[in-house]
Amino acid sequence: MRILVLNWRDLHHPAAGGAEVYTEQVLRRWAAAGHQVTLFAAAVAGRPATEIVDGYQVVRAGSRFTVYREARRWWQRWGRGRFDVVVDETNTVPFLAHEWVDDGARTIALVHQTCEDIWPHHVPPLAAQLGRHLLEPHWLRRLGGAPILAVSDSTRDALARFGARDVTVVPEGYEPPAARPVVDKEQRPTAVFCGRMVSYKRPGDVLRAVQLSRREIPDLRLWMIGGGPLLDRLRTRAPAGVEFLGRVDEQVKHDRMARAHVHLASSVREGWGLVVTEAAALGTPTIAYDVPGLRDSTRAAGGVVVPPRPEALARWLCELLPGWRRQSGAALPYGGARPWDEVAETVLTAIQRHARVPGGVREPAGDPGLATAA
Amino acid sequence: MKISFVVPTRNSVRTLDACLASLRAQMHPDVEVLVVDNGSTDGTVEVAGRHADQVLQWGPERSAQRNHGTHRSTGDVVVFIDSDMVLEPHVAASIDERFTAEPDTGALVIPERSFGVGFLARCREMEKLLYVGDPAVESPRAYRRELIERIGGWNEDLTAAEDWDLADRTRPVATIGRVPAWIWHDEGQIRLRATFAKKRYYGRWIDQYVRMNADTSGSKFARTALLRQPARLLRHPVLTAGLATLKLTEAAGLAFGIRDSRVTAGARTP
Repeated sequence: MRILVLNWRDLHHPAAGGAEVYTEQVLRRWAAAGHQVTLFAAAVAGRPATEIVDGYQVVRAGSRFTVYREARRWWQRWGRGRFDVVVDETNTVPFLAHEWVDDGARTIALVHQTCEDIWPHHVPPLAAQLGRHLLEPHWLRRLGGAPILAVSDSTRDALARFGARDVTVVPEGYEPPAARPVVDKEQRPTAVFCGRMVSYKRPGDVLRAVQLSRREIPDLRLWMIGGGPLLDRLRTRAPAGVEFLGRVDEQVKHDRMARAHVHLASSVREGWGLVVTEAAALGTPTIAYDVPGLRDSTRAAGGVVVPPRPEALARWLCELLPGWRRQSGAALPYGGARPWDEVAETVLTAIQRHARVPGGVREPAGDPGLATAA
Repeated sequence: MKISFVVPTRNSVRTLDACLASLRAQMHPDVEVLVVDNGSTDGTVEVAGRHADQVLQWGPERSAQRNHGTHRSTGDVVVFIDSDMVLEPHVAASIDERFTAEPDTGALVIPERSFGVGFLARCREMEKLLYVGDPAVESPRAYRRELIERIGGWNEDLTAAEDWDLADRTRPVATIGRVPAWIWHDEGQIRLRATFAKKRYYGRWIDQYVRMNADTSGSKFARTALLRQPARLLRHPVLTAGLATLKLTEAAGLAFGIRDSRVTAGARTP
């Protein structure tokens, strides 16, 4: 199959995140399975406009804002007639491929998460209101006209609220570290937070929760792993018993996460919350806020979700930690997610089943004769 | 001691999963979960089926649903939980421990706090914290089976203040204790218009309750608990202002509801 994937970034982009890792893992495997795969993404300073990466072609053009227009232009000039399927990988702003792919190729969208209450954490307040209440609902309503793949139940539920009905959930992937640290749990009760110190991850909530918990568990200690704009400010107002490690390499991160008794997460929302998966693969359970994304990864990892308040985090921490210290659970091999081979196969199967020609009627299962062309 | 949780539901899909998951996650070896639904059409029954030991259909209102749950449960203790409540993991164990340590106690209050989305939810959170420990507002939720059966269960003629009514009937015949673990009440996003409408609906039933309990009901509506801790309110002036707006809206709703029920009653008399 000839597959075109449209994404706002590729893995070489300096701001590449979980969505880009997902894309790369999946595309690499499709290419290895013999499909002709092309990824279109924004331009990256210092990288060529087109190159082959891991067996698939990467085409780069446009900035954060213009990549959408550039994708359409590129497809109209070079892509028309060359692809069987176009995947609109939507990160808040959709490419809306189903509105301009007109050569008979099938299209489908891939959504990791919706933005919604995260807007104020990414753009100034006025733009955030515009984005959250006008732009995003508008875009998602338009996207609802195409079939969609969602990477969690929470994302599917969020899309349903915007009117999207044809949504299929695909699994999140995880590759366990090659060398799993063989360490013992700490003697002293230890919690760990691992993530960028940015506002939407609410590291302050975890600090507050631990501060409250120390009334019942006086020797409770917290490790804060991760760098970011809030790091310095948090360091200055941090209560006792907190160690800020800043940005560390993977080995140190895995070592600390494995030695802690519990992992805490307090984001406003996530797409999945891969850090929870990582912790579970290292044998550390999570207590997380009951918010979209975290809810999915934490439940899958056998962790616990709580009302999104530091006081709740503290209450559950105090009640569960003693039991977890006495008997630490086994590590989950994929932390609640699935191996990448399985993810790549499942997504491809889902695309083959659900992608459709824009304007075409979805074929009822088992009755291809009823399909009508646009 | 076996503990039965009875959860009445009606189109409760937004909050039910978190509620039932917290019941299943109780750190107590012998827990039973019954969901008594009233004709939900939003997927509530599917969610209930994933967690509950029994999913029943009953009506017409919550009190009847709760009584049916009591009847069909098999625990030594029956705990009445609403579908928008999340329980800390120690609630069941604390109930067991209290009832074991205090044989004369027949019912237990489980303290509540709120959480939700938005400014008004924060106001509500502050309000609920002010009520903790106030016997005029708190009602017991955990009952020894013999006690709840003896007092005849919930009053099925009441849709509002049915918890106060149950507490009023419990107090003369039993000692009420409390547990140190909390219920977290999901208020969602509080909107003034919906708050007004809800209180108006309840207002129609309040009149009935007041007529049944003329001597004790006055203090419950004055909600003096709100004014007994002025220092706490002064520390959060903006939240207090929001809370005042919320209470005024509720009072207006109640007043309209009471007027509705009297107009209807008046219209019926020849």
